[in-house]
Amino acid sequence: MSGTKPSVARPRLTRGAAGRGSTARVNRRKPNYALIGLWIALVIGALAWLVPFAVMFLTSVKSNAEISQLPLLAAPKEWKWNNFSSAIETGNLWRTGLNSLIISVVKVPLGLFLAACAAYALARLRLPFSRTMWVVFAVGSMVPIQVGLGPLFKMMQRIGLLDNIWGLVLPYFAFGIPYQIFVLYGFFRSIPNELEESAKLDGAGTFRIFLQIVLPLSKASLAALFILDFVATWNEYAIAATLLQSQSNWTVPLAVLSFSAQHGTDYGPMNAFIMMSAIPVLIVYLLFQKYFVSGALAGAVKG
Amino acid sequence: MAPGIRLGATPPPPLGRMEVLLMSQTEVTPQSVRASATIKGPWRRVLTGLPYLLPAAVLYGAFIVYPMLDSVRLSFFKWSGFQTEKPQFVGLANYKRMFTADPVFFTAFRNSILWVVLSLLIPVVLSLLLALGLNHQIFGRNVLRSVFYIPSVFASITVAALWRWIYNPTFGIINAFLKAIGLGSWAQNWLGDPKIALYSVFIASIWTGVGFNMVLFLAGLQQVPKELQEAARVDGASAWQVFRNVTIPALRPTLVVVIILTIINSLKVYDLVVGMTGGGPAQSTQVLALWSYTQSFSNHNFGMGGAVATILLLISLALVVPYLIWTMRGEEQ
Repeated sequence: MSGTKPSVARPRLTRGAAGRGSTARVNRRKPNYALIGLWIALVIGALAWLVPFAVMFLTSVKSNAEISQLPLLAAPKEWKWNNFSSAIETGNLWRTGLNSLIISVVKVPLGLFLAACAAYALARLRLPFSRTMWVVFAVGSMVPIQVGLGPLFKMMQRIGLLDNIWGLVLPYFAFGIPYQIFVLYGFFRSIPNELEESAKLDGAGTFRIFLQIVLPLSKASLAALFILDFVATWNEYAIAATLLQSQSNWTVPLAVLSFSAQHGTDYGPMNAFIMMSAIPVLIVYLLFQKYFVSGALAGAVKG
Repeated sequence: MAPGIRLGATPPPPLGRMEVLLMSQTEVTPQSVRASATIKGPWRRVLTGLPYLLPAAVLYGAFIVYPMLDSVRLSFFKWSGFQTEKPQFVGLANYKRMFTADPVFFTAFRNSILWVVLSLLIPVVLSLLLALGLNHQIFGRNVLRSVFYIPSVFASITVAALWRWIYNPTFGIINAFLKAIGLGSWAQNWLGDPKIALYSVFIASIWTGVGFNMVLFLAGLQQVPKELQEAARVDGASAWQVFRNVTIPALRPTLVVVIILTIINSLKVYDLVVGMTGGGPAQSTQVLALWSYTQSFSNHNFGMGGAVATILLLISLALVVPYLIWTMRGEEQ
């Protein structure tokens, strides 16, 4: 704060090439301390952010006896790796994991393709009322899904798709699509007309233009949406909890909640189960890590 | 004239043939082509576009729009949700009961609004600060970015289970830490005390929520013109002045996106509350999304559930529609 005054006054005295050089030098040296301070602050923050993970891991390899005797952030005297195998069994992880995997593998690519088709129609095929339709989709992407849970349950019950993972896939398509259309619409509109025109002259139909020009040009944004949708689908809880009943049809988040409700005092296996439930999204994260933190993803999100 | 009109009246032939037809006409009477184009133009485009649009539109209409509108409709009925019972029209009775005789609704309403406000204040500012800090060329910045980001790929339900363990009154790390530094009297039953439970849940949401906003801000910061910052600094502007007059204006579009996403996600908060407190203790952590669900499914009152859902829908629309209008204006320019 006290530094403000002199730095405001400085330019009047040191305008010109020489002055510029000296400010640059000051800038280079002075922020070094600031940067070190900043770095220390960020590292402390990051350590605080890591504590829950450390607690999770260190709990997952201890017995209940050690949990009550040792400090939480201490390494166990006896590593109890079999917490993991017992958690897999108690939480039915193979079954629920397979359900989640089937749902994600079917839903994410197909849903994204359908959304891209619709966004293409709205953005490039000059349909009447396309802007209005875009707004209708956009609204759906922003309203809490919980608003419709009651009637959704009723409807699935009527058509006999309650407690069925294929029945769950249908509303799952619907919750990803509006947001993806919202984002892709902007991307598709920004593609220059000339490319499309020249393809048309070569005799390409709309579908070929879509597959060979529009989709390849939007690869980055499609990839980002794919990742986001995979994570969202794997993690979805509210719809799954409403529509799935029998344990053999559960997805992973339902198993996590049930584990923490029923075996919440088996602290070791509980934390082992939490860790394992996040492995697929962590793999996705690590594979595309650059992509996440560099902001390429964020560019796609903003549309 | 005649061929054009006839064409318009007959069911349209497959695309390829129609184009051939149009082209063959060009040579004979150019006028008729123009006439047929005006009749056929939008109609043909609809036919081309519909197959692309239809699957998404049907899924969206059937599984998002219809259930939401049906929630509004059900809010005027009394219905237990059992198939054997018929919904019974009761007019505004559900709303009257909700506003006059349902204290939990007000708790849920207040908590939802409070959640929106707190989320706009704390995680948004925190993630902006993190982005500003991690935008510098500093040692290990990608690792640091990852550390703050990773919690946001975890399922909220998983985060809830993890934080329940962290808040555990007997063995949890927070109380253990407080005891270790001699502040044992500060130890609390974090999730069991109605006065603080909501804030305890909120802290977990900060932990997961900050990373995603940080990444959005980092992307926004790449668009801040470097030359402008340099120029301002050379002209003697303080760091704060550069931030205020160069960085913030350039960040404005990002800021709008972050704010709107924060509002939406705050109104959607559900999994975390279900996983950490289930709305308790004594309904102190109820939020609108969960109360609607509880009314429908646990209390077997789909009418009341629909009424709560309708309020949630109206709040969301009131906040989201202005943003969409603003975006559309931007599109037009």
